Amino acid sequence: MTAHEHASAGLDAWQVAAAIIGALAVALYLGAARRLGRRGDAWSWRPTASFTAGGLSLVAAATLEPPGEPFTAHMAQHLVAGMAAPLLMALGRPLTLALRALRPGARRRGLLAVAHSPPVSWLVFPPTAAVLDLGGLWLLYRTPLLAAAQERPWLHAAVHIHVVAAGFLLAFSVCQLDPLRRRWSLPWRAATLLAAGTAHAVLAKTLYATPPPGTGFAVPDLRTGAQLMYYGGDLVELGLATVLAVQWYAVTGRTHARALRRARLLQEPVTPPFGRR
Amino acid sequence: MAAAALIGVAVMATVDEIVFHQLLGWHHFYDRSTPAVGLLSDGLLHTAELLALVAGFVMWADLRRRRALSPGHAWAGLLLGLGGFQLFDGLVDHKVLRVHQIRYGVELLPYDLAWNAAGAVLLLIGAGLALRARRAPGAKDPER
Repeated sequence: MTAHEHASAGLDAWQVAAAIIGALAVALYLGAARRLGRRGDAWSWRPTASFTAGGLSLVAAATLEPPGEPFTAHMAQHLVAGMAAPLLMALGRPLTLALRALRPGARRRGLLAVAHSPPVSWLVFPPTAAVLDLGGLWLLYRTPLLAAAQERPWLHAAVHIHVVAAGFLLAFSVCQLDPLRRRWSLPWRAATLLAAGTAHAVLAKTLYATPPPGTGFAVPDLRTGAQLMYYGGDLVELGLATVLAVQWYAVTGRTHARALRRARLLQEPVTPPFGRR
Repeated sequence: MAAAALIGVAVMATVDEIVFHQLLGWHHFYDRSTPAVGLLSDGLLHTAELLALVAGFVMWADLRRRRALSPGHAWAGLLLGLGGFQLFDGLVDHKVLRVHQIRYGVELLPYDLAWNAAGAVLLLIGAGLALRARRAPGAKDPER
């Protein structure tokens, strides 16, 4: 495969670019977190650790050659760069940190204006993000796009950028940890996750049987790669589902505590609002 | 009870996937004879199973936190979920949609019978437990 002959001969332009973007994002994030710390503001170590891990795995996915045959290696790279790293970075709540770290002024207002602008609001509508991410993957593997990308470096770079950016968009909009203009309810986000996971699983199974048009991957390689996509996707879906579940648990906990307090305040004969025992 | 049933469904689906697909290698990941609708439903079920597992556990944790967990109902729900999924998988997935068969290269009938009978037995035990939990003095299903 051309792409991998390139990789063994040296790094492609997109690999260098992705590594620089990942490293730069981590550096900016750590800088912003330090600014908050020096100012005396609290910023938990957990989002910091998560974002750093995500940025570094993006760098690793772009620069290291994963083990295995070409298609399996390609899939491993995609899982890390397009699913795992974006989830870890979204868990770092980068927009929240940026808005808190920037001093009040034109730049902060500008960032907020962009984040709340109609086009961005449409992009972070969970179904849009899912269509961009999964639609891109279906195009990549079920049309001659992958074969074409292996021959044209710029197309190859564009595909990789799309996979990483769309993956981040999906994780960002499903987790919804940052202050966006419109909050989407849990059912919207869970249904999006269900649809996206289904599209991913079905695509992985079709890859098991038929290679992407115009490519000549060996059958065992194709099958290992497809199974890696299927089960690797599961892991990231479990991660996303856990984020949603924890959010639900926290919200119901607050609702419950509020109802209990109200019942006590009203001095009514205390009937626990939910069931007995 | 719904929470436990959800866990039951998901656990059975996961057990099915792990034991029969991975350990025994009986089922095939994809046997090429699957029509598109079967493939779609399989992907949907698989993802739903993952989400149900997480949702079931967090609902169970919520009931425990509110001290509203009724063990009788929970066991009934778990078994109903286990049996319900087993039967559903055996009838709809294997037969109607033909996603895959239980085992390849052998006479299928005894396997199909054992599979579905096991599902039916689990379902019946679950139903029995649900009835008992409902009759138990003072025990109301906390969810209704």
